[in-house]
Amino acid sequence: MLTTTPRLYTRRPSPTTAEFTVTTLPPPTIPLRILRVLLLALRVALVLLTALALHARWLSSPYAQPSLPSTCPTGDGWFSMEAVWYALDTLHKSSLGQLVGGLVENVPLVVLLPAAAALCYLLALRVHTTESLLVMRGLGVQTSSSPATYLASATSRFIPTEKIRDIFVNEAFRGFEVRYYLIVVVEGEENVVVVFPRLLPRRSIVETVWRGARACLYESRGGDTTEEKG
Amino acid sequence: MARRRTYTVAMVSDYFFPQPGGVESHIYQLSSKLIDRGHKVIIITHAYDDRKGVRYLTNGVKVYHVPFFVIYRNTTFPTVFSFFPVFRNICIRERIEIVHGHGSLSSLCHEAILHARTMGLRTVFTDHSLFGFADAASILTNKLLKFILSDVDHSICVSHTCKENTVLRASLDPLMVSVIPNAIVAESFRPRNYRSSSRAGANGFQTDPPPARPLAPHEMITIVVISRLFYNKGTDLLTAAIPRILEEHPNTRFLIAGSGPNAIDLEQMIETNVLQDRVQMLGSIRHEEVRDVMTRGHIYLHPSLTEAFGTVIVEAASCGLYVVCTQVGGIPEVLPSHMTTFAKPEEDDVVAATGKAITAMRAGQVRTEKFHDQVKKMYSWSNVALRTERVYDGITGTISEEDFYGCDTGGYNGSRIRDFTLIDRLKRYYGCGIWAGKLFCLCVAIDYLFFLFLEWWFPRENIDTCPDWPRKPSADERTSSVDADAKRP
Repeated sequence: MLTTTPRLYTRRPSPTTAEFTVTTLPPPTIPLRILRVLLLALRVALVLLTALALHARWLSSPYAQPSLPSTCPTGDGWFSMEAVWYALDTLHKSSLGQLVGGLVENVPLVVLLPAAAALCYLLALRVHTTESLLVMRGLGVQTSSSPATYLASATSRFIPTEKIRDIFVNEAFRGFEVRYYLIVVVEGEENVVVVFPRLLPRRSIVETVWRGARACLYESRGGDTTEEKG
Repeated sequence: MARRRTYTVAMVSDYFFPQPGGVESHIYQLSSKLIDRGHKVIIITHAYDDRKGVRYLTNGVKVYHVPFFVIYRNTTFPTVFSFFPVFRNICIRERIEIVHGHGSLSSLCHEAILHARTMGLRTVFTDHSLFGFADAASILTNKLLKFILSDVDHSICVSHTCKENTVLRASLDPLMVSVIPNAIVAESFRPRNYRSSSRAGANGFQTDPPPARPLAPHEMITIVVISRLFYNKGTDLLTAAIPRILEEHPNTRFLIAGSGPNAIDLEQMIETNVLQDRVQMLGSIRHEEVRDVMTRGHIYLHPSLTEAFGTVIVEAASCGLYVVCTQVGGIPEVLPSHMTTFAKPEEDDVVAATGKAITAMRAGQVRTEKFHDQVKKMYSWSNVALRTERVYDGITGTISEEDFYGCDTGGYNGSRIRDFTLIDRLKRYYGCGIWAGKLFCLCVAIDYLFFLFLEWWFPRENIDTCPDWPRKPSADERTSSVDADAKRP
């Protein structure tokens, strides 16, 4: 429901520029937006809960300072450190806090810490993958790929026109399949650059992008070479 | 004329280029001739060193080098089911109708045939080699062959001897085995000083090539041997026979090309008998050089102990050499008697036969200059492709069963069309043996379940199909077909 098979969006701001975006994000609808907001809220809540559990475990350890403010701060104090400690204390004393504290009390740290880290990583993973190819005649092409998690930033790579030797569609074994993929051969580099490396969209999309990219990059010469090279 | 039906065929074998050999070139030549006849052919083999993935050869032959683990002499490890997902993917994306396996030692080929039957594709198997029945390895191979061939639609053997051998090994119905010989590219094996006879016949008459220059009484006769120096190629026989032949016939010398574990025996023989000036060993040569080596000689000696077909003696005859060979396997079927002298596979007889051949050459009784044109008429890959196509027609039902198998069905009146119903397939496998039958049934059942799982896990509609290679690569037609391809959505 949250993702679709990779879909292609083409944007042509000017005749000499084209951006091909392949994404698993479905077209935005109201239920989808609500669902995404709910999902985000759930993620935040789960991360906070993990932090609470870790703190509860810390409190039960002999190194923790026993003194915690037990008075409710007033006025400006709402935004001070004491207020945070007070809120935490209240949470720990609530039934939810008791439950979490009871759960993690007897879990050894060797298990708890990696588990918490893994959970946080899972919660930070993005649902959708978006990869794009920006083609600008006379300048070059730029491939970019959305990061796997919310914490990392997008990776992109620019290849200037004079370094591009060719763009073509190739096929190769991947896992138990043979897939089509678009590659850019860069001068002076041993490895080719795969466009849309994570999504590896289907042949129809790859071919459309290939035709569009060639037409945009080389103007009239687009598509006059053979389709694939072995 | 009605348009012939064309097929998409997958040739599957462990043996393919870059590795040299007879099976390899057979697959390549057959594929390219089938493509000339309008079929679509792809080749599936395993990866060789850096040769992985999908490659194109000339004429649009597409080769899938499936990355796999190689165990022995370029044969892959028999991983019965692990090949299935990739194989299914390739078959669906290329829209394969017929799977054609080559080589009875190739496990890739056996697996492909098993999976193809499970997927409901027609299968053909070509056997290129002869096997014994006695030793443990042969028994195992034969059992495996029986397993695979009990459900194959049709088999092809390269010679009648090979057919007999295969029929016995796999307990097949002889009518379901066809004989289609190998062929050679006659243009690559022209004799020295060969002038095309069609050019000479300007007035419409074919003129015989000019008679070869008769040998001077003491002219050196060169005997050529080209073979991998393995035991089964008769290297021991050669080692024993050479000193005796050279002793009896003063103006002769040997030219030996090829390498292998038994090369050391030959070298020792040369040392012991001090024959360095009369026996020249060239080491291993490339296939393109074979013709140049052959045309240096007058007689070709082929001492093999077992041979299903023996393409090399056809090549030798095509180069205008008189052939002396052992009478084993399919060799006696290969060449007409005026081109060969046969010997029993034993030392005395090989020496005697070679002596006879040398005498005949000296007497000028052998018209070797005519051999090339005769061989050219007998063996051509186009003919092989034509006959293979007929087999494809027969198994897919394009020509009726009576047409294909003939009326004399040897008392068996049931249908020879292998249907794909699981229960019928299991019945065929069950007959393979008391224990083996049950084991094979288990294998087939698991394969079928695996197939259902794959259909669910990698749905058919998620697999992209490949565009066909544009055919008839003449200059203007090629561009137009690519244009048409480009317009397709």
